[in-house]
Amino acid sequence: MDDLDDIIQEFLVESHENLDQLDRDLVSLEEEPQSPELISRIFRTIHTIKGTSGFLAFTNLEAVTHAGESLLSRLRDGTQPVTADTISTLLAMVDTVRSLLSAIENTGGEGATGIDSVVAMINRQMQPGAAEPATPEPATAMDPATPAPATPEPAVAAPVKAIRRKRAPARKAAAPAAAAAPAAPGAAAAPVAAAGAQPGGGRFEGRRPVGELLVEQGGALAADVADALQRQMEGDKRQLATILLDEGKTSPAAVAAALHAQGRRSVADSAIRVDVDLLDSLMNLVGELVLVRNQLMRSSTEAHDPALTRTTQRLNLITSELQEGIMKTRMQPIEQLWSKLPRVVRDLSQACGKQIRLAMEGKETELDRSLLEAVKDPLTHLVRNAVDHGVERPEERVGAGKDPQGTLTLRAYHEGGHVTVEVADDGSGIDVARVAQSAVDRGLVTAAQVGQMSPREIMMLVFQPGFSTAREVTNVSGRGVGMDVVKTNIERIGGAVDVNSEPGAGTTWRLTIPLTLAIIQALTVECAGERYVIPQVAVHELVYIDGKSTRIEYASDAPVYRLRGKLLPLVRLDQMFGLTGERRDEGVYMVVLQADARRFGMIVDRVLNTEEVVVKALNARFKDIGLYAGATILGDGKVALILDVASLARRSRLAAASSDRTRSSDAGQAAAAATSVQRLLVTGVGDRRVAIPLDTVTRLEEFERARIEHAGSRQVVQYREEILPLVRLADLLGALPDEPGDTVPVVVYSERGRSAGLMVDKIVDIVEETATVRTDLHEDGFAGTAVIQQRVTELLDMRRAILAADPNFYAEIPDEHLVEA
Amino acid sequence: MPTRQYATFEVAGQLFGVEVEAVQEVLSFGEYTAVPLSSPAVGGLFNLRGQVIAAVDLRVQLGLPRQALDGPVMNVILRGDDEPVSLLVDRIGEVIDLADSEFEPPPETLTGPTRELVLSTVKLQDRLMLAVDVARAMDTARVAA
Repeated sequence: MDDLDDIIQEFLVESHENLDQLDRDLVSLEEEPQSPELISRIFRTIHTIKGTSGFLAFTNLEAVTHAGESLLSRLRDGTQPVTADTISTLLAMVDTVRSLLSAIENTGGEGATGIDSVVAMINRQMQPGAAEPATPEPATAMDPATPAPATPEPAVAAPVKAIRRKRAPARKAAAPAAAAAPAAPGAAAAPVAAAGAQPGGGRFEGRRPVGELLVEQGGALAADVADALQRQMEGDKRQLATILLDEGKTSPAAVAAALHAQGRRSVADSAIRVDVDLLDSLMNLVGELVLVRNQLMRSSTEAHDPALTRTTQRLNLITSELQEGIMKTRMQPIEQLWSKLPRVVRDLSQACGKQIRLAMEGKETELDRSLLEAVKDPLTHLVRNAVDHGVERPEERVGAGKDPQGTLTLRAYHEGGHVTVEVADDGSGIDVARVAQSAVDRGLVTAAQVGQMSPREIMMLVFQPGFSTAREVTNVSGRGVGMDVVKTNIERIGGAVDVNSEPGAGTTWRLTIPLTLAIIQALTVECAGERYVIPQVAVHELVYIDGKSTRIEYASDAPVYRLRGKLLPLVRLDQMFGLTGERRDEGVYMVVLQADARRFGMIVDRVLNTEEVVVKALNARFKDIGLYAGATILGDGKVALILDVASLARRSRLAAASSDRTRSSDAGQAAAAATSVQRLLVTGVGDRRVAIPLDTVTRLEEFERARIEHAGSRQVVQYREEILPLVRLADLLGALPDEPGDTVPVVVYSERGRSAGLMVDKIVDIVEETATVRTDLHEDGFAGTAVIQQRVTELLDMRRAILAADPNFYAEIPDEHLVEA
Repeated sequence: MPTRQYATFEVAGQLFGVEVEAVQEVLSFGEYTAVPLSSPAVGGLFNLRGQVIAAVDLRVQLGLPRQALDGPVMNVILRGDDEPVSLLVDRIGEVIDLADSEFEPPPETLTGPTRELVLSTVKLQDRLMLAVDVARAMDTARVAA
C-alpha cells in the first residue's frame, strides 16, 4: 500500500508540473500553430499522464487524456489545423485533468468529477466540421484566456473509503513546518458543505474546508456542518468550527485535527524541484560562511570581549544550523539505493539456490545525493557478494543448526558526523585460514608474513587488488575484482571500508561515509612552518614523541615506532616533501594514519587542532603530484593543503608487504599485559568501570562542583594557583554519567609541568592485578578491556585519553593554551 | 586604426604586457602557501576572497631564480580557462593603448625561456614592451619539477 502511495504521490507531483508546462505550451501553440515540436511535446506529456493513470486505474483520467491524445494526434499528423477552438478545448481538458488530480490528491480517488462534457467537447473538435478554421463554434463559448468555465466541479460526494491518509508532505521534513502553521481558520471563507452542495474554489488552492475534514475524520456530523453553513449564509459571522464548538457538535481536538490536516499544503505546493547547481552554489556559500565563522571565532577568542564572544557563539550556532539545513536539501534517504536491492537479492539467491531474507534497518538515513551515487555500486557489490559467498546453502545451514533461510541485513545510521552503512549476513563467516592461503597463493603476502598477522589483518587482505577466495568463478562474483574496487570507490569519497566476521555467525561489511564531500572534519598539523590538513577519518591516534618513553627507533635506516607492541613504519612529512634535512626525533608528534589497510605513523612538528574545513578542489596542475586531496582555507585566511593519506602511503613506498611485515599480532599485547603485574586505579563512570595505571596518576582530588568553571567550551578548575583543564571521562566513553553530586572526584595527571584532570563518577578501588587484556579496542584512549574483580573493566591509556580530549595538550604553547584548555 | 589595451608590468627590469581582457584584477598579496613537490614555477597558493588561487612565478617561467615570497608581491590575476591564475610580478605598470601596427615580432636574438613566452615586441617611446602569451605563462608544466 505504501509503495502504491509513493507512486501516486510522485505521479501527482510530476503531473502538476507537467500541467503547468502544458498550459504554457498550449498558449505558445496558439501563437505558433505550425510548431511540430510543441505539438509533440504536448502529446508526450498527455501520453505520459494517460499511461500512468491507466496503470493506477484512474479510469476517468485515462478517458479524458485518451480523448485529448486522439485530438492531438490529429493535430500532429496535420489531419486538422490548430485553431483557437482546439486550443481552448485542450486547455479545458488540462483543467479537467487538474481537477481530477486534485480529487485524487485529496480523497485518494477520482471522485465524481464529470468528464463527459469535456470528452464530448473534444470529440466535437474531431468532427470534420470542426476542422474548418472558419467554423466559429460559438456554442462552446470558449475563450482561450478563460478556460475555467469548463472546469467541472471537484465532487466531494464520494470520497473513496480507503482514504490514503499518507500524503506527500509527511514524507518530507517540511511537513512539521507546514503543519505547525495551520491555515488561518478560514473555514468560513469557503463554505463548502461536506455534502458537496457547492463546487468550491478552495480545492484549487490545495486547501480543504474544515467542515468537510471534520465530517471525514468523524469529528462532526454532516448534518450539523450543513446546519452551521446554513447559518453562516444567513449572516452568522462566527467561523464554522466556532459555531460547531459553541453548539457542542464537535470537540476542540477534532477541530485541531481538521485544521492540522487543512494546514498541510498540497503536494505541488510543498515540494519543489530545485536546480542542483543552485544547491551547489548555496553549499559553496555556506562553506564560505563556515570559514568566516572559524576566522571570527579565532579572533574573538583573542579579543577577550564577552559581548563579541556571545555574538560569535550565536553566529556559530546559526552557521551550524544553516549548514545543516543546506546539507539537508541535498540529502536523500538511502532507501533510494536500497529499493533496488530486494530484486537483486531475490534473483541472485534463486540463481544460487539459496533462501535469503533481506532486512533493512534505517532506510530513512539520509546521504548527500552525490555520495548516494558514489555508494551505489560498492553497496550492490557487497550485497551480491554476501548472497554469493556469505550465506550458505539451505542444507549447509540446517547442518550447522541454523534456519535454512539466511538473513541479509542492510543497516544504515548516523554516527559522529559520518554515515555508516552495513551489509551483514548470518552466514558462515570469513574463513581466515582460507583467506591467508589464498593471499599466499596469489603472492600478495608470504607465508611468514601471514604468521605475523592477526585474524583481522588477514581479513583485510580481501581488499587487496587481485584477491578472491571463490573456489569457482561464478557469474555473480569471484573474478578477483570487486572488493578492492569497493574499497577504492569508498576511499575516493573520503570514506572507509571495514569487515568483521565471526566464524559460523556471519560477516559484516561496514562502509563509513562522510555526510558530505564539501565539508570534512580535519586535523591540522604543522610541518616545517607550513600547516597541512589531514582528513579526520584517516587519523587513528596521536602520539607525542618525547624521545624517552615514546621514541623513534630505526630498523636499519627506516624509522619505526613501537605502538602497543607492534612496529609502525614512520614517514617524515618534511623529508617526503624535501623541506628540511634536519632529523628531529623528539618533541615531535606522530599521527597514526590508516589508508589502504595499512597503518603508518607520520611525523609532524606540531598538532594544532581539529575543525571542520571546507574542501576546495585543486587546479589540475597539482593533480599529478597526487599527494593532495584538495586545499582549504584556515581560520586565519591562509590556504592549507589537504593531504591525500592513501597517496602518502603509496608515495612513501609503504608497500603492503613491508608494512604488514612490521606488524606483529594483537596477541603480543595481550601476552605482554598478562605477564606484567601492575597497580590499577579502578574508577566508576556511570555503569562502566575504567582502570587507570596508577603510575600515570599524579594525585586524586575531589572538587566541589560549584568550583568548576567554563573557559570556552572547556571545563576548568582553579587548582594550586593554576588553571587545571578537566576532561569528563564519561564523554570519552560515550557513557551516561551518574547523577551529579556536590563534589566530583578528579584524577590528576601531570606531565612536563602541565596537568589535566579526569573527572570520574567515583573512585572504586586500587588493585594489584595481573590484568589480561581481552580485546584490542580501537577506541581513543583505551588500551583494551580486562576482567578485574569479576567485572569487565576498560583499561585507560591516560596519555591518549588526554590527547583524545585535547590534541593540543602536549603542544608547547602554554600561554595561549591555558586559556583554551 | 584599431587599438588594443595592454596591462603592463615589470619583471626583472623588463616591461611585459598582457591584453586587458585577460586580466581579472591586480592586487598585492603577502601570504602564500607553498605546494611541495609541485613545479618550481608554482609560487604558491593564496586565498582570493575564499577562492584558492595558484600563483605562477613568472621569474621561474622566464628562466630566472624564484621570487622571494616573504613579503607582499604583486599579482596579475588572469582569467584562466576554468579558474583564475595569478602571475607573480615585480611591479605593475600602466594600461596603454596600442595600435596593431605597433606590434612587431620578437627579435631573432631573443632566445631561451623568455622567447617561448613572448608573442611580439612593442616599441614604446622610451622602452620596449614584450607582449606575453597568456596561456604559456600560466602553463607550469613547461618547467620540470
